[in-house]
Amino acid sequence: MDSGLEEATQKLAWLSFACARDDLESGVALLAELKVLLTRLHSLPPLEKTPNAVEELKIARTIYENAVILSLKIKDDEAFGRNLCQLKEFYINTWLVFARSPYEYQFLGLNLLRLLPENRISEFHTELEHLPLEALNHPCIKYAVELEQSFMEGTYKQLANFCQAVPNETYVYLMDRIAESVRDEIVDCSVEAYDYLPVSVAKKMLMFTSYREFFEYISEEQPEWEIKNCSIHFHMAKPKSHMDLSSFKLIKQALSYAQELEQIV
Amino acid sequence: MPEDVEMNDSPAAAAAAASDAPAPAQSTLHHLKEIASVIEAGSLSKEVRRISRAVRLTIALRRRLAARDVAAFLALALSPSSEAFARLSTLVPKEDGSEMDVDMAAPTAQVSIKHGLPEIEIYCYLLVLIFLIDNKKYDEAKTCASASIARLKSLNRRTVDVLASRLYSYYSYVHELTNTLAEIRGTLLALHRMATLHHDELGQETLLNLLLRNYLHYNLYDQAEKLRSKAPRFEAHSNQQFCRYLFYLGKIRTIQLEYTDAKESLLQAARKAPTTARGFRIQCNKWAIIVRLLLGEIPERTVFMQKGMKAALTPYFELTNAVRVGDLELFRSVADKYSSTFSADRTRNLIVRLRHNVIRTGLRNISISYSRISLADIAKKLRLDSENPVADAESIVAKAIRDGAIDATIDHANGWMVSKETGDVYSTNEPQIAFNSRIAFCLNMHNEAVKALRFPPNSHKEKESAEKRRERLQQEEELAKHMAEEDDDDF
Repeated sequence: MDSGLEEATQKLAWLSFACARDDLESGVALLAELKVLLTRLHSLPPLEKTPNAVEELKIARTIYENAVILSLKIKDDEAFGRNLCQLKEFYINTWLVFARSPYEYQFLGLNLLRLLPENRISEFHTELEHLPLEALNHPCIKYAVELEQSFMEGTYKQLANFCQAVPNETYVYLMDRIAESVRDEIVDCSVEAYDYLPVSVAKKMLMFTSYREFFEYISEEQPEWEIKNCSIHFHMAKPKSHMDLSSFKLIKQALSYAQELEQIV
Repeated sequence: MPEDVEMNDSPAAAAAAASDAPAPAQSTLHHLKEIASVIEAGSLSKEVRRISRAVRLTIALRRRLAARDVAAFLALALSPSSEAFARLSTLVPKEDGSEMDVDMAAPTAQVSIKHGLPEIEIYCYLLVLIFLIDNKKYDEAKTCASASIARLKSLNRRTVDVLASRLYSYYSYVHELTNTLAEIRGTLLALHRMATLHHDELGQETLLNLLLRNYLHYNLYDQAEKLRSKAPRFEAHSNQQFCRYLFYLGKIRTIQLEYTDAKESLLQAARKAPTTARGFRIQCNKWAIIVRLLLGEIPERTVFMQKGMKAALTPYFELTNAVRVGDLELFRSVADKYSSTFSADRTRNLIVRLRHNVIRTGLRNISISYSRISLADIAKKLRLDSENPVADAESIVAKAIRDGAIDATIDHANGWMVSKETGDVYSTNEPQIAFNSRIAFCLNMHNEAVKALRFPPNSHKEKESAEKRRERLQQEEELAKHMAEEDDDDF
């Protein structure tokens, strides 16, 4: 009851301190203890009204916010996803009970961004529907929405600018993942659209900082690209295959026509 | 039976000094009594159709209901000692004057309506609920609805199901009007469970639709989808419920980016809906138009010119125009101009997704009309507003090529886009496929016609006499000789 609440508040203070100092191991240990404490609080899950409900819910929410940040720093994707899901539940269901957390839109933006590099666009849009109208003007959410639009349209050069202008320092960790997926997209598009590209242009487009990285990337990921006279040829003379007659299908069709016609005559 | 009631009423009505316009009041009450007798007959003979008919008659009567009619009917139909009567009569506002006189007629008329029939009781609940909603007394309506739901939990009769499903819809409606939908979600889920256990299919359908509506009201699309995918499905009992289900399904699919399924559901819902449900059809059409735009096809003009929907669909018409032309500026101005309409329809996020389609359409037009065009010109035509329009245009074109929207290559050195030849379509398999579908259709039609053939009744066939047969054979011989001669002539 009260003692549990006080203990939780104390540990929470330590946890936020550890997070801020980037002290990851003690942060993780504290988080585990706090989760055990959460099970002892009476108002979670909210099956009945207890007097301390508001306090306990607030504390639980802050614990999960810190958990999300911690999992980002230790680069644990699964934990990140899990904690965000639980945090989302708090945001959806407690807005009637007490005021919104000041960091709410920041975390919701993080949630949206998490879905982008994995190409889960339908979930992205479903999440977007949850947000009330005024959320769309918040910089974090607007950032995520514009990022997704650029992804869809294909204005990848703008994406490079986006990577610089993050609205919040917690977003920095996700940016590398997004940059990677952007690079894959650009590679795909370039292979289809261009027959060949000068090496310097290709390096700039794929956002590599040095030639050495670029050539490493080519040798590892794209062995079929050829480099001739300082330009990359994407397609090794692909023989234009004749349209293969799907002979089996045609035979089947002709046979069925013959069968039907026999029946008429 | 109805005549007795009528005759007993008229002396009472004539004697009433303060009753104004006795004739219409009497006929409404008269109708109510008729309906009650229909319900009675239906419940005694266990015919659900009669109960549905009674409900339909009530809806027709809705506009003419007055407080005293309802009070009078309650007095007639329910025994004064039952708690239902006590509860319901407190909810109906009292009108002084004519009540006393109708009560006098009550003892004589009571014999015609049996007490203790649960259907009559539930029907009274329904009647009071409709009356309270129409008079905008939402709090009392809420108490009435909750009381009726509590009462329904103990009943398990097929004949009550029709009335029960109507009660559920009004219960949800009254909560929606007062913005407290989230509270009843638990109750609706429990009721759905109960309906499934009772094998009450109409109730299941109604409650599923009410739950979906509840979730969609709060934009909880993923929860709605989870419920819908797990709920048991069966042959639709009521056309209106089926239309509603298709509409909600279409909405969910649109948000999940499955546009083909969404288009099918929404168009089917718009087609099946009764012509009187104009608001519903307008909503279906709005969503269907947007889904078709997102799929890349332009809806034809006749869709917007349907009777009665022209004004409501004007914003969407202008939007379609902007997408068809492929002009980003126009699109942006239309979106801003009608942003309040779009927010009210909750289609704002979908409109935002359309921007990408506008660019694609514009690009497609350009690629078809030019064999070679510089990237700077493309950027100018598309009116891309960014710091580096040429580079953006280049990457947009590259993505469009990758997605298969246009058929071209980019020449980076010279900075232009070269469209590929459209190619001879006759050298591909396309004509064969088109032919095949048409041939299959004709053959199917022929087979069905043959199956539908019936031989004429030839019971009076005359036997051929010997003479006639000889004649016939002779004629056939001559014909055969003729044909053989013709063939010889050809050589």
